[in-house]
Amino acid sequence: MTALRVRGLGVLLPSVTAPDDPSFPDRPVHAVDGFDVRERLGRRGTSFFDRTTALAVAACADALRDAGVDAGAQQPQDRIGVVLATTLGSFRSTSDFTRETLVQERPYLVNPMLFPNTVMNCAAGQSAIRLGLRGVNATVAGGPVAFLHALRYAADVLARGYADLMVVGAAEELSPHRVWSQVLTRGGGGAACGESAAAFVVGRDDDGSTGGTGTRILAAAAGYGPDGRRAEALSGCVRRALDRAGVAATEVDLVVTAETGPDDHGQFEAATRALGHRPRHRQVTAAFGDCDAATPAVGLAQLILNRRARPEKPGTTALLVAEGLDGAAAAALVRSPQCR
Amino acid sequence: MRVAVTGLGPVSSIGIGPAEFAAGLRAGRSGISEITSFDASGFPRRRAGEVRGFDPHRSLRRLKPEHWGRSSQFAAAAARLAAQDAGLDLDRLPGGPERAHAVIGTTSGESVAVEAFTAARVADGDGFAGIDPDLVAQLPAGRLAHGVSEELGLAGESVTLATACSASNYALGYGFDLLVSGEADVVFAGGADSVCRWAHAGFFRLGALAAQDCAPFDRDRDGILTAEGGAVLVLETFEHARARGARIYAELLGHGLNCDAKHPVAPEWTSIARCIRIAHQNAGVGPADVDYVCAHGTGTPANDAVEAKALVEVFGAALPPVSSIKSLIGHTMGAASGFGAIASVLAIDQGFLPPTVNWSNPDPELAGVDPVPNVARPATVRVAQNNGFAFGGNNSIVIFGAVR
Repeated sequence: MTALRVRGLGVLLPSVTAPDDPSFPDRPVHAVDGFDVRERLGRRGTSFFDRTTALAVAACADALRDAGVDAGAQQPQDRIGVVLATTLGSFRSTSDFTRETLVQERPYLVNPMLFPNTVMNCAAGQSAIRLGLRGVNATVAGGPVAFLHALRYAADVLARGYADLMVVGAAEELSPHRVWSQVLTRGGGGAACGESAAAFVVGRDDDGSTGGTGTRILAAAAGYGPDGRRAEALSGCVRRALDRAGVAATEVDLVVTAETGPDDHGQFEAATRALGHRPRHRQVTAAFGDCDAATPAVGLAQLILNRRARPEKPGTTALLVAEGLDGAAAAALVRSPQCR
Repeated sequence: MRVAVTGLGPVSSIGIGPAEFAAGLRAGRSGISEITSFDASGFPRRRAGEVRGFDPHRSLRRLKPEHWGRSSQFAAAAARLAAQDAGLDLDRLPGGPERAHAVIGTTSGESVAVEAFTAARVADGDGFAGIDPDLVAQLPAGRLAHGVSEELGLAGESVTLATACSASNYALGYGFDLLVSGEADVVFAGGADSVCRWAHAGFFRLGALAAQDCAPFDRDRDGILTAEGGAVLVLETFEHARARGARIYAELLGHGLNCDAKHPVAPEWTSIARCIRIAHQNAGVGPADVDYVCAHGTGTPANDAVEAKALVEVFGAALPPVSSIKSLIGHTMGAASGFGAIASVLAIDQGFLPPTVNWSNPDPELAGVDPVPNVARPATVRVAQNNGFAFGGNNSIVIFGAVR
């Protein structure tokens, strides 16, 4: 996989709050505070946006601005694309649209303007419309591993020369549907549900450009462990990522994981088995809640933001790992600037 | 590095497995029937392309159907058929299971599970607390690819591309790239979707649902019919295929991707023309090389007109025959371009053009389009272009060629 350079980022981070809505279970959540789509993106063209789409479009716009790319519907760019990660799109939009077919007097009395929101590529498509991005436009559904899949997808698009820049991101909205899904499948334990969005403008590391955040994605690997061998698959991904990047395991000084509860160290253990040592461990969900597909994207954003806040500190070589459903696993090696 | 197509796995309303599916295409068989998978009695239009003959217990060896949604079952069953057709010994892949990937496209993922979740919520006075956790576990769309990886024991990347109705072509394109860049030896690529109430309602309200039949390129065409199925192809490097003495149906020559960035649902012809040119360039072919276009051909008045305009723009007077298998099987959403890919490969391998059935009258606005009306036609197909377009302006075109 081609190494990528992060040219800019846009991130909407959540904070802890209690939902003011009885359809939520009675537990804290992590929500993006004060985000209002009209305030942020204007009224025009946004009236039917669901929150997932609004968060994603805002993060992509911020990332392009941060990268110094002049993007907008007025000057379409054929060589800039988008790839966004998701679990199942806006679950709320889809379920609520479905609900109308069950509760209305006639099953077809749905609002056709809301139909596109039920399709999982809605956020990526609207980001392209809003920002004039006519290059490769993709959506990867994979829950917690999807953002790392998206990084691989973007690297492929850039390596094959299909685009010059890709906006890679993830967005998950807060909804009773998501919170209840987490509660029902995990029996109420684990991290609180979170919403967030993060997007990164990436280009090939070897394209001669400089600047941006200076952070590089050296390699990403994805795999699958059939028959319950997910941890084994994750260790394999770590080994492949190191191998492709030509990085020694000893150089990794931080492991960023997407475990869904503070007591679960499974991803860290699988990673350290492959590394042969135990670097620092950071759980993204501890600070930002379980943001599903957005969790690893927030993990990457946190690395870059920390670096920006403390440029005098030595850089890190971080390993980003995630386990998805069933046997899915993925890992990425991320190096911040001025690293040994 | 060249990419070979060595296995075909269609799970369709006109046939399960390549032989039945090919026979259905040749006969112009219709897979459309009255909807039975949900109560459609409240809808003015009640026809769809359901895969009535699908029995997951018979089609799947390792996957336990009770833990997987219908779309994952379609994907896994299609991949199993494709693996059998390719004669691949999955326990003895020379490069190991890590170099065998699953890339599956979809529009609505586990739509039937979302529907069941929602019905349970409505039944419980709009409460979520009583919903079965096993049902919740079936919701994530990423399970479509995981179902394939699990069924076949693949340890490579297991990725679901949710780029709506062109998603299978996206999957084939990504599979192509993984093979030519040396990341993979074998890729199972295609797509799956299920007939569901909410998609039926949505397309009806958009005014895009046909009253009776789907009649692409006909003057009086009046829309799509929602449909379902799974379509998976086995892609391998030529090296890998030849080393094991595999039959090679066709070569995957290349693909093209772009985005309209214009409208959430309406396609844009200049953008599609651009995508065709990108695909030709990537595949190393010119318009004169293409013998057949397997159209996106949804059968709505606007979409067929836009597609035809883009084709005429690129091909001019030399536009080859253009047919739509959606006239036979309906719009299988994320699986649609996978079925189109299988039809394109069969056209090359068996020397025929699949017909556009239900065709009665030429449309003066589609001048230059030969839709292969109603009857399959013998033809030598050296290069076939498979179109896939989608909501979100997600255009994806894949080009297949005869083995040279």
